[in-house]
Amino acid sequence: MRYGFVIDQHRCIGCHACTVACKEENRVPLGAFRTWVKYVERGTFPHTRRYFSVLRCNHCDAAPCVTICPTVALDRRPDGIVDFDGARCIGCKACMQACPYDALYMDPDTGTAAKCHYCAHRVEAGLEPACVIVCPEQAIVAGDLDDPGSRIAQVVARAPVQVRKPEQGTRPKLYYLGADAAALTPALQAPAERWLWGERPAAEVDLVRMLVAAQGDAADGALARPVYDAPHAPCPWGWKVGAYLWTKSIAAGALAVAALGVGAGAPGAALLLGVAAPVVALLGLLLTTALLVWDLRRPERFLYLLRRPNRRSWLVWGTCILLAYGGAAALWLGGGLTGSPGLLRALALPTLALAAGAAGYSAFLFGQAEGRDFWQSPLLLPHLLVAALVAGAASLLVVGVAAGVDAEALWELAALLGVALLLEAVILGAELFGAHANLDVARAAGLITRGPWRGRFWWGVVAGGIALPILLLWYGPTTAAPGALLALGGLWLWEDLWVRAGQAIPLS
Amino acid sequence: MPPTPPEPLHPVAQELGRPAGGLASYPPVERWDDWQEYDPVAWPRRVPRRYALIPTICFNCEAGCGLLAYVDRETLRIQKFEGNPVHPGSRGRTCAKGPATLNQVEDPERILYPLRRVGPRGGGRWERVTWDDALDDIAGRIRKALVEGRQREVMYHLGRPGHELVYLQRVFHAWGIDGHNSHTNVCSASARAGYAFWHGLDRPSPDHANARLILLLSAHLETGHYFNPHAQRIIEAKARGAKICVIDTRLSNTASMADWWLAPWPGSEAALLLAMARVLLRERCWDREFVRRWVNWEEYLREERPDLPPTFEAFAQALDELYARYTPEFAEAESGVPAATIVEVARAVGRAGPALATHVWRNTAAGNLGGWQVARALELLVVLMGAVATPGGTAPSGFNKAVPPPPMMPPPGKIWSELLMPREYPLAFFEMSYLLPHFLREGRGKLAMYFTRVYNPVWTNPDGMSWIEMLTDEAKVERHACLTPIWSETAWFADYVLPMGHASERHDLMSQETHAARWIGFRQPVLRVLLERQGRTFDLTWQAHEAAGLGQVWEEDEFWIELSWRIDPDGALGIRQYFESPDRPGQKLRVDELYRWIFEHSVPGLPEAAAREGLTPLAYMRRYGAFLVEDRVYRTHEQPVAARDLEGARVDPGTRLVLKDGQVVGVEVDGRACVGFPTPSRKLEFFSRTLKEWKWPEQAVPGYVRSHVHPSSIDRANGEMLLLPTFRLPTLIHTRSGNAKWLYEISHANPLWLHPEDAARLGVTTGDLLKVATRIGHFVDRVWVTEAIRPGVVACSHHLGRWRLGATTGGERWSTTLVDLQQPEPGKWRMRHVEGPRPFPSADPDSSRIWWREGGVHQNLTFPVQPDPVSGQHCWHQKVTVSRPGPDERYGDVFVDTEKSFAVYREWLALARPAPGPGGLRRPLWLPRAFKPDASAYRVDGASLDGT
Repeated sequence: MRYGFVIDQHRCIGCHACTVACKEENRVPLGAFRTWVKYVERGTFPHTRRYFSVLRCNHCDAAPCVTICPTVALDRRPDGIVDFDGARCIGCKACMQACPYDALYMDPDTGTAAKCHYCAHRVEAGLEPACVIVCPEQAIVAGDLDDPGSRIAQVVARAPVQVRKPEQGTRPKLYYLGADAAALTPALQAPAERWLWGERPAAEVDLVRMLVAAQGDAADGALARPVYDAPHAPCPWGWKVGAYLWTKSIAAGALAVAALGVGAGAPGAALLLGVAAPVVALLGLLLTTALLVWDLRRPERFLYLLRRPNRRSWLVWGTCILLAYGGAAALWLGGGLTGSPGLLRALALPTLALAAGAAGYSAFLFGQAEGRDFWQSPLLLPHLLVAALVAGAASLLVVGVAAGVDAEALWELAALLGVALLLEAVILGAELFGAHANLDVARAAGLITRGPWRGRFWWGVVAGGIALPILLLWYGPTTAAPGALLALGGLWLWEDLWVRAGQAIPLS
Repeated sequence: MPPTPPEPLHPVAQELGRPAGGLASYPPVERWDDWQEYDPVAWPRRVPRRYALIPTICFNCEAGCGLLAYVDRETLRIQKFEGNPVHPGSRGRTCAKGPATLNQVEDPERILYPLRRVGPRGGGRWERVTWDDALDDIAGRIRKALVEGRQREVMYHLGRPGHELVYLQRVFHAWGIDGHNSHTNVCSASARAGYAFWHGLDRPSPDHANARLILLLSAHLETGHYFNPHAQRIIEAKARGAKICVIDTRLSNTASMADWWLAPWPGSEAALLLAMARVLLRERCWDREFVRRWVNWEEYLREERPDLPPTFEAFAQALDELYARYTPEFAEAESGVPAATIVEVARAVGRAGPALATHVWRNTAAGNLGGWQVARALELLVVLMGAVATPGGTAPSGFNKAVPPPPMMPPPGKIWSELLMPREYPLAFFEMSYLLPHFLREGRGKLAMYFTRVYNPVWTNPDGMSWIEMLTDEAKVERHACLTPIWSETAWFADYVLPMGHASERHDLMSQETHAARWIGFRQPVLRVLLERQGRTFDLTWQAHEAAGLGQVWEEDEFWIELSWRIDPDGALGIRQYFESPDRPGQKLRVDELYRWIFEHSVPGLPEAAAREGLTPLAYMRRYGAFLVEDRVYRTHEQPVAARDLEGARVDPGTRLVLKDGQVVGVEVDGRACVGFPTPSRKLEFFSRTLKEWKWPEQAVPGYVRSHVHPSSIDRANGEMLLLPTFRLPTLIHTRSGNAKWLYEISHANPLWLHPEDAARLGVTTGDLLKVATRIGHFVDRVWVTEAIRPGVVACSHHLGRWRLGATTGGERWSTTLVDLQQPEPGKWRMRHVEGPRPFPSADPDSSRIWWREGGVHQNLTFPVQPDPVSGQHCWHQKVTVSRPGPDERYGDVFVDTEKSFAVYREWLALARPAPGPGGLRRPLWLPRAFKPDASAYRVDGASLDGT
């Protein structure tokens, strides 16, 4: 059994009855929508037309929100409905990044994710969803796609239907009849700061302005002008997520560098590699965890990650890796404090592997954020590994200088940092200036390189965070520490921009 | 063996059927009393909730769609409203405003108790009083006025009638007053006039579902009479292959769904339609037989073309000549719509033949001088196609409406109020409501007791500042009681604010011409119904509401009964007898008894249908909330005159009218006595003798009047433009939806629609400000640059721009802007926004989540009154000057000079051609009028005897 929807845009008159009936049925708070109607217009007077499209959860058979949700708060029921359980949700907002259709929101009352759930509570009473029965035009058809006798199965069999973003591979069960391509495809729409009968929330307007600034002639190539849309909370992940990537890079990198050093037989700086490195790693991990928990809308439910885990979610695997890595760091610290080089040598390889895991798992996590094309880059794993090297080398360098460690050991660190920065430059260049997978990725990259963030990028990341540190490292030991600090600052800026840019492109 | 299925519950109850193996749309009726569903918020925990499903009628527009209230049996809270599946018009479905009823019921700021003003009127201070206090004071004043012969000083002014039209006729005729005032003249008067001159009934009733061409000068896929029922049937027809043509200057959602969107210069529509008629006449593509039988062509030839022989061939020739000048090229020059398109649509009309469904209601008819001729021209197409009351055609409204009479109708009063129907406008549809402030200013009278009910003239009417001046003058309006579920700009200037219930909180009987059928719908106070089912009894609905925790919210039906008893406590004035129980002599009428009587005596078929289910008619209506009186109603005019009416009747040899005892009972057509149409000729009046005799001979046949905003009168080079201020949004309804947060969240601003060409000329882009100056003032609004409007025209929805004067009271804070209102010198008014909608603390956490910051701009304040001299319609379109605002001018600014508005009123008044007409009458006796007074009151001389 597979429940699905057909929305017949030949019949839909854009009246918003479904929107309001859904709000009533499910008590959806102001500012949030489980289903909504978007309007776009095309043409010039008098050859103009307005097109409506009803947008909502697609109840995907391969639902990315279900995959990414770390606590199984989202699940695909045996009848095909993708339902949610607020009691399990920790408020991590990963589902909002995973969904390519903008279907989820955070309920302000509960701090948990919510979306269209096909009125599952009605379905179990034998009733159609609220939007279906209210529709004056019977433009929404609900039913079992697997039952060849059902109306929905017959419509899907006999009429040319479309789905949104089929390339995402989500296998949606929401089919459109007669929908306008531009209405379903945000990339075909010109930017708009206001609607024909209302405002857009300030955060959305800011984003629109940024995209316009990045793009020059923003309407260039657009097929349609959007004239109404429901508000959506843009950028579910804020500065804390960029900061988390950064602290995690430091945590992972510090011990990775130490493990590399010990593995390569560096004897000289036992204190730096044996004690300072694991301390930096553990402090970094602590900060990382604090940021992660802080970013949850339900922080008190943090342990659900371990108690109610979804084994397909990289949020869960990431947590496990961080825990294991923390253990390794503690062992390493023990070895360093007790002055047991043998133990450290034995730990070097597994610690290096765990550090790589701690640095790199986010590539798979962001990869599960299917909604954000910018984050789907194959360069993400190398990006994170190199970031860890930069952060690790730089932080140890700073600590080393502060602790007065001998110059030769620091010279090697500085050399490593220099190489890592060069690698960072290469990867960053490839990500931003290489061939982009699609228009959305190109627009996100453009935001960083040409848009309102270009100052932060060119001055903060490229000049201040890469070029100047390399020069300072080159110059000699006295300027190595400022160089390392600048490299750390640049890295933080870069991660922050990268997280923001990924979310700046509208999903619907 | 399964039981045999019972007789179909209801002809339209297919909605209740469970599709094999699938999901049902609605719970089965037999479980409506006790229906269990899981709590949606607790889900996926399965927390069962038990509801009683009680039908009622939506109150958010005039369509009267059926709602089904889910009332929690334990908490007595309404969980939700769905559509009522047995309602024949709406068939279980609603628009966005249906479910938004819940917002109105749950509005944390709603008025729950009767309030009386403290301090000066409009000062914004109130105290809670009892219903007894309010009733006694109001009844005392009315009684005094009646006893002292000041009947004309009692006036009731309403925005939304329903069944109250008949109900209140009982009340006001019992009181002996002519005091019913409506909003019709700011709404639909011109369309009504145009239709009534054709067929005696003042609305069209298109059978969209069966049409081949649907020709709309309306936006029925998003608004209007009757949006949801019509939209359902229009799209049904479209899915079946029917074509749709929409004539509307702005691109409505409806126009977006059409096969043709014609966007004429506003006011040119009649020319466009007459050009189509000319094409059909030229191409001999019209129903000659229908026209011969049912149009008063003989009267036309007799009166207007005595030079021609009295033959139908001569009439056909006369028609050709009459419309020869309306060439498609002429229409193109007037409207801007290409001649080729006009011909194309005309031919589509021809192909549709008798399956031509058409509608004009407000749109251009409400905007333009002579707008009533648009309805005349549109109906001409219907008549030429023989599409009158055919399957897929367009019927006169009354054919498809059931208005069951209540018991004991009092005779009409022998009184005529010139404050309502002044002699300057003898043909108006109907009361010249929006001129009231000017009438009082001219000294035409005063009001001892003025009621407003779901009516907000300060905001809705043109020239609202004149209304404020009137309402704050206690010498002109001695007492003002506002019957309302919500705060409004007008309630602020009342002496009493009396809380009346929303859709689910009152009784009412509805019937609308939604399609080719006749039905009734029953609005009921669902909390009282549930409590009474649970064994409680109440005398009055407000007591039931009090028991359910809904303050002392009341309903009008009982209010009028109580008030009437207090006006005439001992029955000496002859009023009380009409408010006594039909079953318990001398006892006060209970609202249950009233409806029981109506359902038992006045609704054909209902007693039998109820009996089949073992129910009384009242119990049947309480359970189902609707009844289909007759389905598939077509060609009512062809019905034979009843045999008992024919007995002793005679046929006038000249007019072929069938007369009995001096009364017209029908008309003979080809030897058959038919009921015909309720016009003087009983035929479709292509030629209106009434218009000719009442001083409009040049307008007696469908024609084209150049509007007051004709392009020739607008100097675009000097910044003049046409303001089209009349369009609605799909989500709002005038001033009644301000407390619906889910609707305001979707739409909350009314920017000026401006074509890119005009935007470039003015140097503005979307979001910039423009100042729009009328003859009496100006307003400042944002711009919406769009390809959806004709160049030279600027358009602004009239649904937004609500305001309040009190920081925390006087208007719903979901929707209103707090404004500062100043009168720096007499007659000069300035309004400035203090702040738009903002989050506020309340029992509803959503009120702290209001995210929109603008509530729109109130444009109507700046419009002078512009009464059409025939229909009395306020002609909404304005010639305006559009410019960039000065440095001190801000979004939402309004300035008005009421001296200028009075001067403009006098100019338009001079266009009128006053009564008396033939026979010394104030108004043609046959012409519809709400609550017709006694015929003797129609005589101008009669009235002058008693002092008017």
